[in-house]
Amino acid sequence: MYGLLVGFAKWLEGTPWGIGVRTSLWAYPFTQLVHFTGLSIWLGTNLALDLRLVGLGKKRETAAQLRDDLFAWNWIGFCIVLLGGLLLFSASATTFLVNVAFRWKLGVFVPLALLWHIFVQWKARDWGVTENTPAIAKFAGLAEILLWICVIWWAVQIPNH
Amino acid sequence: MWEALEQMGWVKTFGSTSWMYASVSVIHYLTMFWFIGSMAVVNLRVMGVAASKRDLKDLAAQIYPWAWTGLVLASISGFFMFLTDAGDWAPDPVFHIKLGLIVTSIAFAIFVQRGVPKWASEPKMPTSAKVIAGIALLLWILTILSASEIPAMEGLG
Repeated sequence: MYGLLVGFAKWLEGTPWGIGVRTSLWAYPFTQLVHFTGLSIWLGTNLALDLRLVGLGKKRETAAQLRDDLFAWNWIGFCIVLLGGLLLFSASATTFLVNVAFRWKLGVFVPLALLWHIFVQWKARDWGVTENTPAIAKFAGLAEILLWICVIWWAVQIPNH
Repeated sequence: MWEALEQMGWVKTFGSTSWMYASVSVIHYLTMFWFIGSMAVVNLRVMGVAASKRDLKDLAAQIYPWAWTGLVLASISGFFMFLTDAGDWAPDPVFHIKLGLIVTSIAFAIFVQRGVPKWASEPKMPTSAKVIAGIALLLWILTILSASEIPAMEGLG
């Protein structure tokens, strides 16, 4: 399994886009721009729903309404994150693969946060019909915020490992 | 003057204690993504490509208080990060561009927020509103680009 991953990482590094992002002076910041723009849309819309479920902020819309408003751009944002992230990863895939912080980020917290997000977004339709959300919704929203904080924590740690 | 800021006792402690600096970086990234992303949805709604079923005034009233809170937190955390290396950041030309873009982006965000009640009452979204919202969105993206260019061009951050 790990051998397969290493093989995949080596292949990515040799692809035209892997070489391009690694060697071009301007490609790296532009790829980071794609990743960060996607992250803004993805996390901005995630956190808005989470905060509404927790009950912090204005209550002009119910959580269920907000979930529907944000749904499309939430997943468009995710696709942009994925595209930028894959390009950044391709630039030095084998180095990322052995980085402890990267392993925590992509191996543990991203899958956890992503699955939790899908669960929260799915349940928000039931939890969010009334103005005030039930206790379980508050817990679920807070847990998602904490999971994304863990993801960013490990992302910030990548250069230190 | 900027070096003096950098040399203050608590700034030195903060800059050299890795978990402290990392925590503030996490706050900076999290709140930055949070306010740019949530504001983007309002801009996209004005442009006619998001949440088209929802009343613009309701969406704006729901999103803006969060977005401005996020912006304030991102600014405070960013200022703390600036302090740790103030002597290098202060004269950096790309950092000046970033700050200029932030100010311009904020001006356009206020412009959009103020336009919302007027635009929401029109039977059809005015083209000028769509253009302004598009510029507001683009400005934040350019701000992110300028921020990414600082480590790439100047080796800072």
